[in-house]
Amino acid sequence: MPEPDVTEEARVTGGVGMVGAGGTAGRYVGARVQRLEDPRLLAGRGHYIDDHVVPGMLHAAFVRSPVARGSLARVDVSEAAAMPGVAAVFTMDDFRAVFKPTYSTIIGRDAVTPPLRPLADGDVRFAGDPVAIVVAQSRYLAEDAAEVVDLDLEPMPPVLDSATGLASEILVHPETGSNVAAQISALADDEQAFAAAAHVVTETVAQHRYVAVPMEGRGLVASWEPGRGELTIWAATQAPHEMRSYCARMLGLPEHRVRVVMGDVGGGFGQKMFVTREEMAVVLASYLLGAPVRWIEDRAENLLAGGHAREEQATISMATNRDGHLLGARVHHVENVGAYSVPGTGSVGGGVAAFFPGPYRLPTLSFTNQAVYTNTCGRCAYRGPWLFETVAREQMMDIVARAIGMDPLALRRANVIREEDLPYTSATGVPYARISPAKTLEQAAELIGYDSFRREQQAARARGRYLGVGLSLYVEPIQTRGPLGSEGAILRIDPTGEVTLIMGTASHGQSLETTMAQVVADVLGCEPGSIVFIQGDTAVAPWGPGTGGSKSAVIAAGAAQLVAEQMRDKLLRVAGHVLEVSVRDLELSGGGAVVRGDPEARLSLGQLAEAAYLNPAALPAGLEPGLLVSARSVAPPLVLANACHACTVEVDVHTGRVEILRYVVSEDCGPMINPMVVEGQIAGGVAQGIGGVLYEHMVYDGDGNPLTTTFMDYLLPTAGEIPDVEYGHVVTPADTPGGFKGVGEGGAIGSPPAVINAIADALAPLGARITGTPLGPAQVLAAVAAAEAAAAS
Amino acid sequence: MKPAPFEYHAPQTLEEALTLLAEFGDEAKVLAGGQSLVPVLALRLSRFEHLVDLNRITALRYVGAADGVTRIGAMTTQAAIASSPDVRTRVRLLADATARIGHFQIRNRGTIGGSVCHADPAAEYPAVAVTLDAELDLASVRGTRTVGATEFFTGPLMTVAEPDEVVTEIRFGPVVSGWHAQGSAIVEMARRHGDFALAGAACAVEVDPAGRVRSLRLGLFGVASVPVRARAAERAAHGAVAADLDPVAVGRAAVADVSFAADVHADAGYRERVAAHLAGQAVRQALAEARSAGPAAAAGGAAGPGGAV
Amino acid sequence: MTEHQLDVTVNGRAVTATVEPRLTLADFLRDRLRLTGTHLGCEHGVCGACTVLADGAAIRSCLVFAIQMQGAAVTTVEGLTPDGGGLSDVQEAFRAEHGLQCGFCTPGFVVSVTAFLDANPDPSAEQIRDGLSGNLCRCTGYQGIVRAVQAAAHARREARDA
Repeated sequence: MPEPDVTEEARVTGGVGMVGAGGTAGRYVGARVQRLEDPRLLAGRGHYIDDHVVPGMLHAAFVRSPVARGSLARVDVSEAAAMPGVAAVFTMDDFRAVFKPTYSTIIGRDAVTPPLRPLADGDVRFAGDPVAIVVAQSRYLAEDAAEVVDLDLEPMPPVLDSATGLASEILVHPETGSNVAAQISALADDEQAFAAAAHVVTETVAQHRYVAVPMEGRGLVASWEPGRGELTIWAATQAPHEMRSYCARMLGLPEHRVRVVMGDVGGGFGQKMFVTREEMAVVLASYLLGAPVRWIEDRAENLLAGGHAREEQATISMATNRDGHLLGARVHHVENVGAYSVPGTGSVGGGVAAFFPGPYRLPTLSFTNQAVYTNTCGRCAYRGPWLFETVAREQMMDIVARAIGMDPLALRRANVIREEDLPYTSATGVPYARISPAKTLEQAAELIGYDSFRREQQAARARGRYLGVGLSLYVEPIQTRGPLGSEGAILRIDPTGEVTLIMGTASHGQSLETTMAQVVADVLGCEPGSIVFIQGDTAVAPWGPGTGGSKSAVIAAGAAQLVAEQMRDKLLRVAGHVLEVSVRDLELSGGGAVVRGDPEARLSLGQLAEAAYLNPAALPAGLEPGLLVSARSVAPPLVLANACHACTVEVDVHTGRVEILRYVVSEDCGPMINPMVVEGQIAGGVAQGIGGVLYEHMVYDGDGNPLTTTFMDYLLPTAGEIPDVEYGHVVTPADTPGGFKGVGEGGAIGSPPAVINAIADALAPLGARITGTPLGPAQVLAAVAAAEAAAAS
Repeated sequence: MKPAPFEYHAPQTLEEALTLLAEFGDEAKVLAGGQSLVPVLALRLSRFEHLVDLNRITALRYVGAADGVTRIGAMTTQAAIASSPDVRTRVRLLADATARIGHFQIRNRGTIGGSVCHADPAAEYPAVAVTLDAELDLASVRGTRTVGATEFFTGPLMTVAEPDEVVTEIRFGPVVSGWHAQGSAIVEMARRHGDFALAGAACAVEVDPAGRVRSLRLGLFGVASVPVRARAAERAAHGAVAADLDPVAVGRAAVADVSFAADVHADAGYRERVAAHLAGQAVRQALAEARSAGPAAAAGGAAGPGGAV
Repeated sequence: MTEHQLDVTVNGRAVTATVEPRLTLADFLRDRLRLTGTHLGCEHGVCGACTVLADGAAIRSCLVFAIQMQGAAVTTVEGLTPDGGGLSDVQEAFRAEHGLQCGFCTPGFVVSVTAFLDANPDPSAEQIRDGLSGNLCRCTGYQGIVRAVQAAAHARREARDA
């Protein structure tokens, strides 16, 4: 199939939201439609899990290990169980008979995982490891009782970092026989390429531990009703069907006896995608008590045990010829996945390997990886879990550029995959098509004013000020393999003509309530605000893989499009029957069916519905009564988006403070359903990248005690730290209905290296070496001081 | 994250509060703005059988000035201090410090008494108190005593206040020869807007009509276990020609004898290097303001141009 | 522990309740009065999701005990929302500028921004970012939030000058 032309380039800086400003009348896709979610959320009338009341519900609090590793001889709950208002205190002993270890539907039954247990069992494996669950009349009383649970705990030396994990005899999970959770060895035949290279540059790039921090933590109310044999779970989840099947298997219940309902959810970023141990414990507690049990994770728990991310490093060698063309790369990647990681082992080595070549013509890649268990909080998925491929590669591009005397933009231009190179198969076998990295590189460079910035930078240096520019270019896979490749939708028009869209999605900030309505409204010729959107209730919603992985615009919009088109066809047939005209002469617009060129000859959706429902015998043979259609999308096995980030900074070499001057993103996610939503997703990801590099750092001390478990020490960026983000858009459609691609994770993927490279660029004249993160003021100043010392000696 | 149970008392007068504290001793804790105490209670890092809430004692909320002395009631909120014309004209350094405290929502409840009693070595109010040699009154059923700011702070989160004592007033001044109006500056390195300082310096300087430094007060905060006065640097600057002072040298001298703290945000080396830089900046800004303000004015003169960053 | 009687006005309505001293104002509003618009994001006074007005001043309701509000007038996000389904000018600005995504931090921002603009009718860009720095958002990157404050301030200026 020939490559489609890039259809348009649009330069947009975040503008005022407008309704219906998409061009032709009635066209919502492509417009900055204001969100249908907003009125209730702005008025404080959202319904989050902490708002949900189930009559008779009890409240849970966890007893957690105070040490990183230790043997647990005994858990004495007698005093706690006798405290006022306490219904029960459960340990793993209580759960053993009913807990059946199981697998995640989304990642499959064959995935390797750490040992599965909701609570500690005879030993503790990280500080924060849940040991017991207290269930009481209120959270206040549950915490009072949790304090008096007595742990007979013998601390043992922990393994805290990857290097120790690999070298030590101490096993984090004795059952597994090794601290190596996963490993990869994919060596290419690159001896000749490296031997012949004009330049070989080697560096070790490190990424520190930082975490997702949704503003709402985890939470659920689980209600097992023994009389009915039904389990209902209201949850802050990103994947209600995943939670449903997992909990059903965990208790040995048939899937259709379990219902999961999600209301409004306050962000997730991957932390709420998979069922976690505390959630298992809450469900088990409800099962044993035959009563509703509620757990609302507090912030200390969320930082301590909600799932960590990002701690990994790689030693990378890149070979180039004299002109800077890449000849090959060798990467040895080591990840610290903590103790009880999820999903699977928490390793992202496969993704890092597959996408390390990124948007460049890299002929060969040798990749080895080890993922290491440690006595720290386990990894969870966090927005772009594999993003280290971009973080490491983009830093290396700048390091190589400086080493061989080329400008970083020039080196990228020399190697970027261009339109004429497509289709292109990467060194790791990934087929690249329908991407535009070269266009985004040029657009970002132009938007940031790269050349004039270089002049400004030079002038500033002469005055003793250190400015820098950083680029970050990447290709992003939209996760549509296996069960992730399909979403379902049900479209129902009721006898009065009201439209309801029911999907298996789990939008938690992605604005699907609005964007899916835009898709349907365009096809049905009605207004998005007239469509009621139901998601997240497994009793009524078609099975879905959850919302995450940047795939909503592909599979969810695809399903909404399909089901709307089927409904349109049905409506036109009903209209044709009632008006006695050919379907070819009819169209849907203005909230009904109308004969083309004869605006008087129309039927509203209400009239069509009446005809469809209330006089079924009058309908022609072959036209089923009612207006209910169901469809599932199937995504191509791989959809790729791409973008380029560019960032300028000033570094204060006296304090180590980094100020971001400008931040630009040139994004190609194909046509946009709602540019306002796209830009918002990018901006949120960018803020997490900036936060990760400059402010956020999850730190353990030498004994494995976490030091950053409140917002006093784990620092999130505020409005004072995030600059205006400027956007450019390039449009390369995917091979999907509407051509949409995903954009949810891209902002977080592209941002860290843009900031890191800008800092390194600013400090390059001092000879400062920047080889990763964190880059808080202390680290930046240390790099400056080290460069001064080296220069002095 | 719910606090452990406690008994709650809301006395209407200082006498009632002191009686309660005498009765309960170290089982009681004073509740002022709560912006520092309540998180500690919520995290169950500490607990107390009794909380004595001072917020009903309106007699402890005031800003007054007489005879060159500015008196501030301990329960005066940071917001009230920020908007007080008396503080802005008489203790400008305190007003400038207030803008750096947390966020406006914190300042609506946080009090000056609470801040000094909490004694975080990175906090702004203890630093200003030490820099300006403020006096604090401590009251108990046994009477009232006055303690100088430097003696008041004894360690991180530690003061000389006994469990049954309440800080009732903090005083700045007396102003001699209008030195409050001469020049002052507070500079800090905080990671984000409103954070506690990784390092900071507060400076107040008085320059005589001949251009000589009559007095230099320089306090460092966020760097050690308590706010510290850079006495050696101050002594060296005394009598020097202001225009000849090298802020970089003053900054280096300021850090010479300080024992720098380390934590998850910065090590001692970072704090020393940055404190020296900030001390120099604070001195430079304070001197610049003093020089542009002109010769020493009488007590109560108008403030000079803003110099703090 | 001894419970206390609390008389407080919430969103204009007089409320009497018996409370345990350790019950935070946030939990009192949410659990006892079912005003669940005020959210708990950290319970240690940093994130601002729990911001309410107490006698007109924006405060963190997680850092105040309900009993401390004896005799006070408390306003929550529900109290800032016009009756009958409309939105306040600040809320409208947030909607127009896409200043929210998951919505969890949003009530805290609405309350804080309302108080901020009442006290600072003509804020500079820097003052806006400083004024917003006491509320955390994880979804928006603050872009739409900053624009919303600018838009609301601008609209108020226009209304004043008209």
